[in-house]
Amino acid sequence: MIEVQELTKIFRKPVRGKGLIGMIATLFSRKYTEIRAVDGVSFNIPKGEIVGYIGSNGAGKSTTIKMMCGILTPTSGKVLIDGKEPYLKRRIVAKDIGVVFGQKTQLWWDIPLVESFKVLKEVYQVSDSDYEARIKFLSSVLGIDEFMSQPVRTLSLGQRMRADLAASMLHNPKILFLDEPTIGMDVLVKDKIRTAIHALNAKYHTTVVLTTHDMADIENLCSRLIMIEKGKIIYDGPLGDIKRRFGNIKTLTLTIPPNIDPNEVEPFSDDIIMSVDEDKVILGFDADKVNLEHVVQYAFSKYHAIDMKIADISIEDVVKKILSQQEEEHAKAKKI
Amino acid sequence: MHYIKLYFVCIKRSMLSRLEYKKDSVISILSFLLSNACALGSIFFILQAIPSLKGYTPAEVGFFYGFSMLPIAIDHLFSDEFWLVAYRRVQLGDMDRHFLRPIPVIFQMFAETFQPDGFGEVIVGITMIVICGLNLHVSVTFGAIFVLIIGAVFGALIITSFKIALSSLAFIFKRSGPLLQIVYNFTVYAKYPIAIFPKVVKFILIFILPFGLFISLPVDTLLYGNYNPYLLSLIIIGVSIVFFTLATLIWTLCARRYESTGS
Repeated sequence: MIEVQELTKIFRKPVRGKGLIGMIATLFSRKYTEIRAVDGVSFNIPKGEIVGYIGSNGAGKSTTIKMMCGILTPTSGKVLIDGKEPYLKRRIVAKDIGVVFGQKTQLWWDIPLVESFKVLKEVYQVSDSDYEARIKFLSSVLGIDEFMSQPVRTLSLGQRMRADLAASMLHNPKILFLDEPTIGMDVLVKDKIRTAIHALNAKYHTTVVLTTHDMADIENLCSRLIMIEKGKIIYDGPLGDIKRRFGNIKTLTLTIPPNIDPNEVEPFSDDIIMSVDEDKVILGFDADKVNLEHVVQYAFSKYHAIDMKIADISIEDVVKKILSQQEEEHAKAKKI
Repeated sequence: MHYIKLYFVCIKRSMLSRLEYKKDSVISILSFLLSNACALGSIFFILQAIPSLKGYTPAEVGFFYGFSMLPIAIDHLFSDEFWLVAYRRVQLGDMDRHFLRPIPVIFQMFAETFQPDGFGEVIVGITMIVICGLNLHVSVTFGAIFVLIIGAVFGALIITSFKIALSSLAFIFKRSGPLLQIVYNFTVYAKYPIAIFPKVVKFILIFILPFGLFISLPVDTLLYGNYNPYLLSLIIIGVSIVFFTLATLIWTLCARRYESTGS
């Protein structure tokens, strides 16, 4: 369904001076720096799969997505959507894909939502019966009928995202690209959107590629992960493998009173890794191996913690861990 | 067929957007009436103040002025979105959604805004032509009327072509509004009989920015019978097709360079 081969995008940016004088000097300079936003990326995605495409900010996620949906032309390498290159056959490929950019809407700002849908129906030449059926289904999973007659400008972020998702599904695309679909939303709305994505995937067998910063999105939605860092793929495989490698890792951040020296507190066991950051103590542990209750009790009794915060591992942490593991393996391989 | 239907659906959408804000609609209709009344008024004041312009009577100058409004107004009706492309939309990365739809982006630009203000300009222009024409006692021939209509319609196509070509440069430079503005401002010169200008300007207005070709020459044909109306029509149509073809070609080439903004 989607084939990506040695995809590379290099942006050329003029070297800019600092301040006004520097900016003026830039006008006459011919120096450029090359930024490899995406660097030799290859993968295949079969039909019906939900894939999480993740990485830290500026890793090259959005650039890849833009090339996959044909907005951006690669510097080298290629993307094949059903055997066609989207940036060359833009109009043909556009019929097969739906795209939602979390930060931008494709709906018309001033008019009621239903009017936007009517225009899109005409743009994609959706028949009346298909339109009715899809609107019915999309309303049931996304709950858009409550604000169908409101202008898009009056919708909340969560409502707008649901509306955008519905708009991108009106023509029943084979592939749905979602760029940060849950960004800036509260837990309840996030949940609604995840359920809807599952329902769409189940009903229409839509292939879904989504980028996100939210670990929970990935756990709830994706069967497979592709992880990118500095334009290169550092992991491509099932979600289960990542979980096995990093377990159910949580961090417990403690604020401790000044009279306690964290280095003198007796360690819990080898399963908890302790680090100190100013007056904070950070305990990292695998919740599948260590009982959370025991860790919390330990924190209160030994550290006399004033305050604490429990967090799941973040995507940035996973990326860091994968990179450091790869470096270790690299170093080992060199020694041998 | 699909595109014709789609165009009307999109135009309806554009009108809905304009009518969404009731007070704004009322104000824009009022300001439109007022600005056209002022334009008309000031032209008559100027014509009264100037007894003649290089041998042209006020009624003749008024006729030129009135006719020049027609192609500009027709262009205004259909292609207002290109101003936004040149000034803002590419720079803000606001073109993504158009590139994601299975329809030529250039068609979507025409369909994005329909500017009914243009109708008012057409009416004002025709009013001026009729008033000045009656004053001049011109002998109306079929050929002259024909070349005027061709000049207005295909002249609009030439103006639109300039808008397309220059606004598409925004895909490369991110912003091409000021450049488009400079070229568009040349239509000001086209409002006067071409004979009053020095040779260089004449040359520019016929061969480079051919605004004189479709405004001044057809009027000359009606008022003084200077040119063969059918040959002139043929030339205007030919030139406009060449310009439009080139413009769409430039647009297609430039649009490939579109880079969205980061998200």
